[in-house]
Amino acid sequence: MSELDKQTTGGDLNGDRFFYPEGEALRLQIDRRRRWGLIWRSLFMGALIVAMLSLTALLYNITNDVLGLTIVINKTDPERLVLGLLADEMLGASNTFGSEDDNALAEGIVNDIDGIGFFGNAYYVANRDSLRLVAIDGRVADSDDVADYPLARPLYLYSAESVLVSNQTANIFLNYLLTNVNDDIGNVGYLAADERTTLRARQNWLSANQDLGLTSGQWAVINPDGLGGRVTLSGSSTVNPLTDYMLAAFTADGFAGSYDNASVGSSAGIAAFCAGQADIAASSRPIKSGEIEACRRNGRFPLEFQIGVDTLALVVNRDNDWIADVTADELALLFSEAVTWADVNPAWPNRPIKRFIPGADSGTLDFFIESVFETRLAELPKEDLVRLLRENVTLGRGRTLERDQRFYETSLVFESPELWNEVCARPANERPSGCTGPVRDQEDVYGLVVREVIQPDVVQVYKLVDSIFKRQEIVAEAATLYPNGVLEFRSWLTTDFIRDPQSSTPEYAGVRTAILGSLWVILITILFSFPVGVSAAIYLEEYASDNWLNRTLQTNINNLAGVPSIIYGMLGLAVFVRALEMITSGAIFGLVEADTTANGRTILSAGLTLGLLILPLIIINAQEAIRAVPNSMRQASLALGATRWQTVWYHVLPSALPGILTGAILAVSRAIGETAPLVVVGASTFITFDPSGAFSKFTTLPIQIYQWTSRPQAEFRNIAAAAIVVLLTMLLTLNATAIVLRNRYTMKT
Amino acid sequence: MAAHNPVNEQMSATAVTDSLKKRPRLGESVIQGFLFFCGLLSIFTTLGIVFILFNESFAFFSRTQWETTNKPILADITPAATVIEVGTRGATLRDGDIVRLGEEVILIERVDGLLLTVERGHRSTAPQAHPANMVLQRANDIDVLDTIRSTKWIPQLGEFGLWPLLLATLMTAVIAMIVAIPLGLAAAIYLSEYASERVRGILKPVLEVLAGIPTVVFGYFALTFVTPILRSIFGMDTVEIFNTASAGIVVGILIIPLVSSMSEDALHAVPNSLREAAYAMGATKLETSLKIVVPAALSGIAAAFVIAMSRAVGETMVVAIAAGAGPKNFDLATDSLFGYVLNPFVAAETMTGHIVRISGGDLSYDSIDYNSLFAIGLALFLMTLILNMIARYFVTRYREVYE
Repeated sequence: MSELDKQTTGGDLNGDRFFYPEGEALRLQIDRRRRWGLIWRSLFMGALIVAMLSLTALLYNITNDVLGLTIVINKTDPERLVLGLLADEMLGASNTFGSEDDNALAEGIVNDIDGIGFFGNAYYVANRDSLRLVAIDGRVADSDDVADYPLARPLYLYSAESVLVSNQTANIFLNYLLTNVNDDIGNVGYLAADERTTLRARQNWLSANQDLGLTSGQWAVINPDGLGGRVTLSGSSTVNPLTDYMLAAFTADGFAGSYDNASVGSSAGIAAFCAGQADIAASSRPIKSGEIEACRRNGRFPLEFQIGVDTLALVVNRDNDWIADVTADELALLFSEAVTWADVNPAWPNRPIKRFIPGADSGTLDFFIESVFETRLAELPKEDLVRLLRENVTLGRGRTLERDQRFYETSLVFESPELWNEVCARPANERPSGCTGPVRDQEDVYGLVVREVIQPDVVQVYKLVDSIFKRQEIVAEAATLYPNGVLEFRSWLTTDFIRDPQSSTPEYAGVRTAILGSLWVILITILFSFPVGVSAAIYLEEYASDNWLNRTLQTNINNLAGVPSIIYGMLGLAVFVRALEMITSGAIFGLVEADTTANGRTILSAGLTLGLLILPLIIINAQEAIRAVPNSMRQASLALGATRWQTVWYHVLPSALPGILTGAILAVSRAIGETAPLVVVGASTFITFDPSGAFSKFTTLPIQIYQWTSRPQAEFRNIAAAAIVVLLTMLLTLNATAIVLRNRYTMKT
Repeated sequence: MAAHNPVNEQMSATAVTDSLKKRPRLGESVIQGFLFFCGLLSIFTTLGIVFILFNESFAFFSRTQWETTNKPILADITPAATVIEVGTRGATLRDGDIVRLGEEVILIERVDGLLLTVERGHRSTAPQAHPANMVLQRANDIDVLDTIRSTKWIPQLGEFGLWPLLLATLMTAVIAMIVAIPLGLAAAIYLSEYASERVRGILKPVLEVLAGIPTVVFGYFALTFVTPILRSIFGMDTVEIFNTASAGIVVGILIIPLVSSMSEDALHAVPNSLREAAYAMGATKLETSLKIVVPAALSGIAAAFVIAMSRAVGETMVVAIAAGAGPKNFDLATDSLFGYVLNPFVAAETMTGHIVRISGGDLSYDSIDYNSLFAIGLALFLMTLILNMIARYFVTRYREVYE
């Protein structure tokens, strides 16, 4: 007697001790039985919950891999690439004079009525009498309100608490600078930072001097009189005149020690500071995350002090009387395509523009380009992108690309015209696709630049959940492990992923070949198994009498449904691929492609194999649908004199059709997800061209997923997950179609 | 009735009978013939499967592998010579061995020290002259018994023991059943006995969705989700990246819908009168379900289990991705039984996994690899066939009870 029995009946049925409980005992017994009922009910329910959880975990796991942060290392920095290109274009424009010496630029404009140029505001201040400022969108460089001036950039000093604590000279100099900079900065030609920014800078200084006991808003002025020691500064040449000025004033106010102020550029200055070679870094741009990390590794946590604003001055000759205010678009034109003033604005004189701009090595030029021009690589015009390709890709590679698809309708970029004409004169199947195909568009050329020039390499991938909840740690890790890397959020499932063919690099791999392969294979499968399956079902339900042959048929079909799919693969391999190779390779129809090595391993073989695989399913489903048609319908039809076939065709089939179709679609969705038989039949591991017909080599979506999953590199897991999403979407669409179809038909009949 | 003409009446009656007579309808017969042929196609499929599996397996077992004995012949021999003298080095030859010199196959009738009495031109090869110092190759036939005796599957060395593959298959299937049977059955009982129509309408589609997900996706799930979980629970050193436990658990999840839907059908078929009788006797819902309905549907439930087992044995992609990429060859004398041979955390390749891996590579026809796949396929086919037949037996029994 089981435990359950004992608990529920309260006694031994066969023994003498059997009793019917009464009163309190009965109540207790019923309670106990109810309790057990409840426990078990929850257990049963729990099983379903486990099943649901599995499904959730499966979908969660896929989503987790499809999206997530990645660290990408670019072989070439796209920003530098664009800046270099645009700087070249600016300097290469007509009547352009480039120089690193800002005084030379100023002098050029002073002497030429058609001159225009830009440089640090300090140089305008020095030549105020012979130059005239031009406003941009109504805002002038030399005004007090610089917040909206498009060409304004903040100037920074960087130090660290550890430095300020150990070097009082540096500490007191910073205090002196923060106290006086807003009063003195005008003398150098830069603009004071606004009140809030100054407050923030002072607060940062206070955070390193907490022993003073000051709260925010308060400020201590420390007198440098008699102070000794040494302070070293290093960094931006733009900031240099300002720090020089402040150091001189510091000395004048009684500082007795020594100092060093090196003008080496922002990046070099920050690097020197982080390496412990300078106490304070000067920079004309904010510090980058990689630099912060490098500093931290040396025990220096950078403190930021914004000390002022530089406004690039846009200036023209004093005698220029036509230009006072330009729009951003006009400004871009002025320094790029326009040749004469009239090109920019018809009201202006029809004389050439003389441009005086900083040279290619200048950070000022880069800043100007970034502020004025579109510098996102993806937005560059096609001509610029082609130029980037021509400058950065070998001639041989370029020729290959051009032979695949031309860049321009009328001109050639890489190929010589003679060779091109010779190649394109070959017979149709030997000449490259570029001879006849359409021209590459901007998007396509952009893709090529990314692939061939920037060459992004995903070095690390993170799961979605980690990307969201452990973002801080990932950012820190990225900065430590890959200082040059770019951390970006990436979806592996993109339109490109669906459009692109297979590739050996996961970043560029796509599933187009696989999707087309799947569709082709399924087409063959349907064409074969649907008519045959429905016919067999009709025979078994409508014609077959109950004899041994038909019983065998039925049993056999049921057994076939239980044969593992891989066995069908072996059948397909032995029969379709090998024995019927002449037919399945297309040789018998003279349709073999010249370069194919498919032999019998074609879409036709795969489709027929899957057809055999789902045949039993289609038959069994169709049989059920036909069986559900009421017999009275058949009898009515026969009674009116219809033949058997007429009865089947005009009455039985139409009313069984929704059921048949639903069953068939379910069977087909099984075929779409089927992998093992296709591997055995000989799916290709790597093809990049679209299947051209039933006699092509093939790969399908599940095959791709299998191959990518089997790769050890993490990125292949990500694209496998993306391919799974595509596959599940396909199946979902198909099943939804089945439901819609069924509903429509059911309503009609 | 002067106008009455008996002859005319006779004729018109014949005409009517004629017009009502069954006429041969060629179209109908052709259609029926075509439909019958379509039905017959399934028989051809079965025959095809059986034929190719047996045919290629036969080719596998009748294959001869030639291994060198390193034993040279001492003198030139003519096509007619029946006594051959051999050198001392190399393997020992025995009476009845079959050896090969060049293309010619020779049967050794008797060995007298270094003198061999032979029968020339064996296995329909022609006797030829052979120069001195040629080395004898000995035939090593693949024996059906060898596949059962050996515990190693190493085709390169001529070792074809089915045990490593079979054991891995059974292990994943058993783990799958341990997962699927309790969960599937409990789900079936809940859906059939407890759930209201509304709850059923929500829960059943979940199981159907689970059943509709391609197996390759489950393989991905096993490798990238279940394996890491197992490794974090039991330790990286205990659980290998590829292991049968992970594959087995996921195969189990994969067949839950199969177990539950078949079991539910069986439970559903139990007549309501049985339940009502139980309630009338004062049984609770649980007692009715577990002690009346489940036993009544037992044969159908058993059939569901057996079909699920068959499905687990034949399941391919999950094990190909997650279970391992090489047969787990073992030696009972040296390897620990539970530490290695039956350890579910060790990588092992199943029969289906092996077929997929080998055929996914560069497979040349008529090679020993190619033929061996069909031998494995035959074993797999027979296993699933037997399981399906057992299930069918259960189903017929259960139908007899209630219909």
